[in-house]
Amino acid sequence: MDRALKALLERKLGPSLEGPVRQRQDQTEIRIRPGDLPQVMRTLHDEHDLRFEYLADLAGVDTGTTFQVVYHLWSEVTPDWLRVIADGIPRDEPRLPSLTFLWKGAEWMEREAYDMFGLVFEGNRDLRRIYLPDDFVSFPLRKDFHLADDVARSPGGGVRPMERTGAPKDADETTLRRTSPGA
Amino acid sequence: MTTPTRPSLDDPALTIPVDHAGIFEPIPLARTERQQEFYALKDGELLINMGPQHPSTHGVLRVVLKINGEKVVDLDPVLGYLHRGVEKLCENADYHQVISHVDPLEYIASLFNEWGAVLSFEKLLDLEVPRRAEYIRVLSAELNRVASHMLYLGFFALDLGGITPILWSFAERDEIMEMLAALTGQKLLFNYFRIGGVNGDLNHEFMSRLGDWMGRAGAQLEAGMGLLNENEIFVRRARGMGVIDRETALRMCVTGPNLRASGVPFDLRRAHPYSVYPELDFDVPTRSEGDSLARFLLRVDEVRQSLRIIDQCLHQMPDGPVSARLPRLLRPRPGRAFSSVEAPRGQCSTYVISDGTDQPFRMRIHDPSFLHLQLMGLLMPGNLLPDTMAIMASLDPVMGGVDK
Repeated sequence: MDRALKALLERKLGPSLEGPVRQRQDQTEIRIRPGDLPQVMRTLHDEHDLRFEYLADLAGVDTGTTFQVVYHLWSEVTPDWLRVIADGIPRDEPRLPSLTFLWKGAEWMEREAYDMFGLVFEGNRDLRRIYLPDDFVSFPLRKDFHLADDVARSPGGGVRPMERTGAPKDADETTLRRTSPGA
Repeated sequence: MTTPTRPSLDDPALTIPVDHAGIFEPIPLARTERQQEFYALKDGELLINMGPQHPSTHGVLRVVLKINGEKVVDLDPVLGYLHRGVEKLCENADYHQVISHVDPLEYIASLFNEWGAVLSFEKLLDLEVPRRAEYIRVLSAELNRVASHMLYLGFFALDLGGITPILWSFAERDEIMEMLAALTGQKLLFNYFRIGGVNGDLNHEFMSRLGDWMGRAGAQLEAGMGLLNENEIFVRRARGMGVIDRETALRMCVTGPNLRASGVPFDLRRAHPYSVYPELDFDVPTRSEGDSLARFLLRVDEVRQSLRIIDQCLHQMPDGPVSARLPRLLRPRPGRAFSSVEAPRGQCSTYVISDGTDQPFRMRIHDPSFLHLQLMGLLMPGNLLPDTMAIMASLDPVMGGVDK
């Protein structure tokens, strides 16, 4: 745990932070609003005493009620991983700014998040499906997409109410139009 | 009763304009900005498919190439032929089962996938791994790294038209695979790491094979590389090809040997140490050129360092248990954990969220090959079609990891 990093982040990002800076093991976690992403990431990337130059990972998360996009950054100034959580992205309007202006390499990771969650990254010039075929209609890593078979259930299954089995729920026309980048 | 009228073939609304008529398949609908730019053909340009069954794509990858004569103007990789939805499967499996799900991702070096997963689970559980288990992990993983790099060195030469090196490097790789088979019970997808340790202790067959091999590995490597390093055709085809500079590499999220060949000494074993790497003595080789040849030579240096690590592991191997005692059903406290290991191709990381049940709530697997494949779009335009192989092979993507 890097206590100095916590103080530094609170000083540099103060008003953008949603809730406290959390630290556990070798990870430091901050939460921000999705709208603040470009400015916060610009600060983290450019500031001389932060220098988070390396984007290690971009992951979409469906909490069941909202979406999150989780970024992991690495910098030589700290031994910790920095986890930036863009929190509270509404399920019916999952839009957030793209980070391709800072890391061009995020383009495919954002495409993957679009493919799996239907997250629309505004500013990504190539936001289309990457793994699944173009005519696929649903977003498989959303929690309301249920696997068709039950073979992978573990002995403790049944504890999570969201993961009932059933046919994949296809998104209807309106969902499609809302989440496709052209619309 | 009226019969439905059939549309006439002469109806102008139904005929395809000649400009857009594809021979084998219709040109996809241009939607994103990038697609519109890519599928707009200028005079003399042509779209062709490389793959999905093309020997130089190292798996099932289709690349739509826009070429002008023999020159590549632009390209659009089409992924997903190997997509298995591993992340979704992991969310529906318990923590022990996940290990066998992540195994076949980067199938050339599958121990590293397992390592990333078990490392993040151990963080969730605040679990202490016995030191002997850590040493066995490092030992077997470094062997796997050597095997993976050997395959790379051989295939790179094969893609450039040299057939002998792959036979030499495959002999080494096969010996390592037999060794690991003696240790783990399987020859390709080892399923060896467990949460809190490894599946079994070192055994006699593994140790005797390893001892034999270590005696000659260094000399064999030098002999094999002598075939290529001093081969003028090989060197001239690989030098100055697909150059990545430092800033571009960081902007494109490149990791591993490809990043170090561009002069950035970023190796997670040193940059963010895990396991017992802080106790081991090895160097992080870097090169400044950033071309295909640098990426090749850098991996040769890495094999030498791996041999050093293996040697130290054998000398420092402590006694003790090889696995922590854990219940069959794990229910970590709700929380998030991120872990990253230095796989032969770069950073292989796992991000896992627990909600207190016995299955991960979200399991994100990040594979380095995915981002290295993205580099193709940057490096290939402007090169000749045969040189795309020299670039792509030097980046070393494995489609099993790319497609997840």
